[in-house]
Amino acid sequence: MDFGLTETQELIRASAREFLQDRSKSDIVRAVAEGDNEAITSLWNDIVDLGWPSLTISEEHGGAGLSFSDLAVLLEELGASLAPTPLVESSISSWVIDRFAPDSLKSDLLPQIANGDILFTPAIVEQDASWDPESVKVAATRSGSTLVATGEKRFVAFAEQATHALTLVRINNEEPALVAIPIWKADGVEQTPVAHASGVPVSSLTFNELEVPAGNIIATGNKAIKAVEELTAAGGVARAAQLAGLGRAVVDATVEYTANREQFGRPVGTFQAVQHHLAEMAIAAKQVNHLAHSAAWSFSQEGYSVVAAAQAKIAASDKIAELCWTAHQCHGAIGFTWQHDLHLYTRRALAWKTDYGDSAFHKSKLANAMGL
Amino acid sequence: MRFDFTPEEKDFKRQLSSFLDDVLPADWHGPADESRDDHWELNQDIKKGLAQRGWLVMSWPKEYGGSDSSPMMNTIFAEEMAYRRAPGHDRFGTRMFGPTLLRFGTEEQRKKHLGSIARGEIQWCQGYSEPNSGSDLASLQTRAVADGDTFVITGAKIWTSLAHRADMMFMLVRTDPEAAPHKGISLILVDMKSPGVEVLPIVNMAGVHSFNQVVFDNVRVPKSNLVGDLNDGWRAGMTVLNFERSGIDYAAWARAALEEMVDYVKSDEALVTSAKTDPTVRIKLAELHMEVEAARLMCYDVSYRQGKGEIPSSEASMSKVAASEVYLKVLDYGVEILGMYGVLEPGSKQAELQGRFFKMRLFYTSGPILAGTNEIQKNIIAQRGLGLPRK
Ligand SMILES: Cc1cc2nc3c(=O)[nH]c(=O)nc-3n(C[C@H](O)[C@H](O)[C@H](O)COP(=O)(O)OP(=O)(O)OC[C@H]3O[C@@H](n4cnc5c(N)ncnc54)[C@H](O)[C@@H]3O)c2cc1C
Repeated sequence: MDFGLTETQELIRASAREFLQDRSKSDIVRAVAEGDNEAITSLWNDIVDLGWPSLTISEEHGGAGLSFSDLAVLLEELGASLAPTPLVESSISSWVIDRFAPDSLKSDLLPQIANGDILFTPAIVEQDASWDPESVKVAATRSGSTLVATGEKRFVAFAEQATHALTLVRINNEEPALVAIPIWKADGVEQTPVAHASGVPVSSLTFNELEVPAGNIIATGNKAIKAVEELTAAGGVARAAQLAGLGRAVVDATVEYTANREQFGRPVGTFQAVQHHLAEMAIAAKQVNHLAHSAAWSFSQEGYSVVAAAQAKIAASDKIAELCWTAHQCHGAIGFTWQHDLHLYTRRALAWKTDYGDSAFHKSKLANAMGL
Repeated sequence: MRFDFTPEEKDFKRQLSSFLDDVLPADWHGPADESRDDHWELNQDIKKGLAQRGWLVMSWPKEYGGSDSSPMMNTIFAEEMAYRRAPGHDRFGTRMFGPTLLRFGTEEQRKKHLGSIARGEIQWCQGYSEPNSGSDLASLQTRAVADGDTFVITGAKIWTSLAHRADMMFMLVRTDPEAAPHKGISLILVDMKSPGVEVLPIVNMAGVHSFNQVVFDNVRVPKSNLVGDLNDGWRAGMTVLNFERSGIDYAAWARAALEEMVDYVKSDEALVTSAKTDPTVRIKLAELHMEVEAARLMCYDVSYRQGKGEIPSSEASMSKVAASEVYLKVLDYGVEILGMYGVLEPGSKQAELQGRFFKMRLFYTSGPILAGTNEIQKNIIAQRGLGLPRK
């Protein structure tokens, strides 16, 4: 057992902290939440320059060849700073492309993702909000070397910025298929933005007889199902890492606030009721952190641990949301204001809770793995 | 980052596990009942077997019978023993008193006592709590007065686990009633057969006699039994306890109980069929599975940090709180799943799983209370870990 960070990871953490301190300040987070898309683009361009989208892409395809654990360390910092940027969407898409796409497609797409020429975002969920790949309905008919896609994908994050949607469809009403669909200014794709608590752009994508080359198919049939399962697991662990960072940031901020806010002539943080709230928050943040690391580590082994991935997302979803509510209680009325940043964290935690399978979804997965 | 054991650690775990296969009765479900003589004999046999294999005090230095191994090995040992609900794990001698003596004892004291602990021969008990001194331990009143070559001890200890089985006690006594509470306490060793020592059994809410009141009436103890300096017993008595605190036993007990419940739900013999048909059961069991793993990783983190030479007191407190609480959640749910059978006492006709879950639920009510209550642990986390002000 080694709970420590490697030298590379220490470096990643330090440079991420330094960068994000400036580039993901609360005014930027708020501006993005209010619809400032230029702020997203400018942050993403800097992130591309830092090479973060290439982190886990193999060197052979122009990436840095680092592990999922390394990515998790970075994502913690993104979570702690609420960075409004599509790194998770990009990283897990490239992860799945690398593991499931045919070689020709890999060597076409991965170098472009690595250098920021293209940006992928997953488009899995439909009207029923389910992450179960078997429930896919969006239809694609195959005619020769072309797929024609029709239907609606929902809750697609950063669809406005993405060039491609990693989309699950059903071919000829039968086989599921995972397809790289170019969406950037594409005719036949309609975007409908929703107002989402994550504070970043989220839309549904409606395909209207959209033509896609069949060469863009990443996987079909069982392999497509497996790919989406792995995408969901990886996305869940990525969110868990972000939530771990977010939780830590909220604990730190609440310690700082309660150690300074005075009532009855003493800091409210000296009251035991408040200290015990904080002790429980600290335990929760630590547990989510350990579970996220353990699950991320499993991705750098043969396959990944279905159990660890589910545990991480369940814990992150449930414990960090609860941690945020407790933080509001410790802050009193000030934390109930729009002006105070605490609700930015809470909103993000609540939104991330639902991404890549909520707690109930992963509990069911875990129960399956337990043979129940 | 690495979430796996080393080959050496895995190998040790396998050896320990197969040793336990051999020594535990075929139908063993545990936990041991310290009131029962047959269980105590089993405890002594297993302890000796562990000692012969050099597993009882692995982290101690070689010269005192250990093998200088890492805190992680100790954790693996404790985890496997608890997971099997195996008796034979002497937490007072090997986990508390031995390390205290290694740090604060004289060479003579170490020679005298450590060998017998390592060989599994002598049972120790811990005399800290008193009727009027629980969480506020520094208020303790049991007096030791110097008289020639001896101390004369008068007073009473309470909740002393295993006093009825113990050969020796390490205890905190007041040696300077004038000094500030923490400054007038000494750590001293008492032979339980000394004249004037009386052990009064106390039966706990689970119906088990595992702790006692111990009354001291002018008990004479040689001055050479003082550990550390006179009036410096608070430091000696507390330091190593902090170092040794961990939730690993609870995490392992919780895992064992959860697995038992999962097996029950799956089994065709379960009388309570709703356990299989109610879809919320699998979801709740999955949630507990996550909680158990979360607590377990906290315990491993403590050993990992100890192995690096840190004294992770806040993390240790976190692990104790998390693990003792999750264990009760698991047992609560076990009792709940069994429905009306859940409240049958052990040994009752028609009891499912031999009434074990109900008894364990009662017994482990003590988890969040003993070894520093969970409220006290949360004070430690908030103040030492998070740096919140005391006043
Ligand atoms: C099964 C079992 C075995 C034990 N074995 C031993 C043993 O072998 N040797 C030994 O010396 N002792 C032993 N103990 C005693 C144990 O250490 C004490 O029970 C424990 O320290 C708590 O003391 P208390 O029971 O007097 O509770 P109290 O200290 O009276 O506490 C009562 C309640 O008040 C709360 N409280 C007290 N102070 C504070 C505070 N500052 N902040 C917040 N809350 C507070 C506590 O958390 C608790 O909820 C054992 C206890 C049990 C249950």
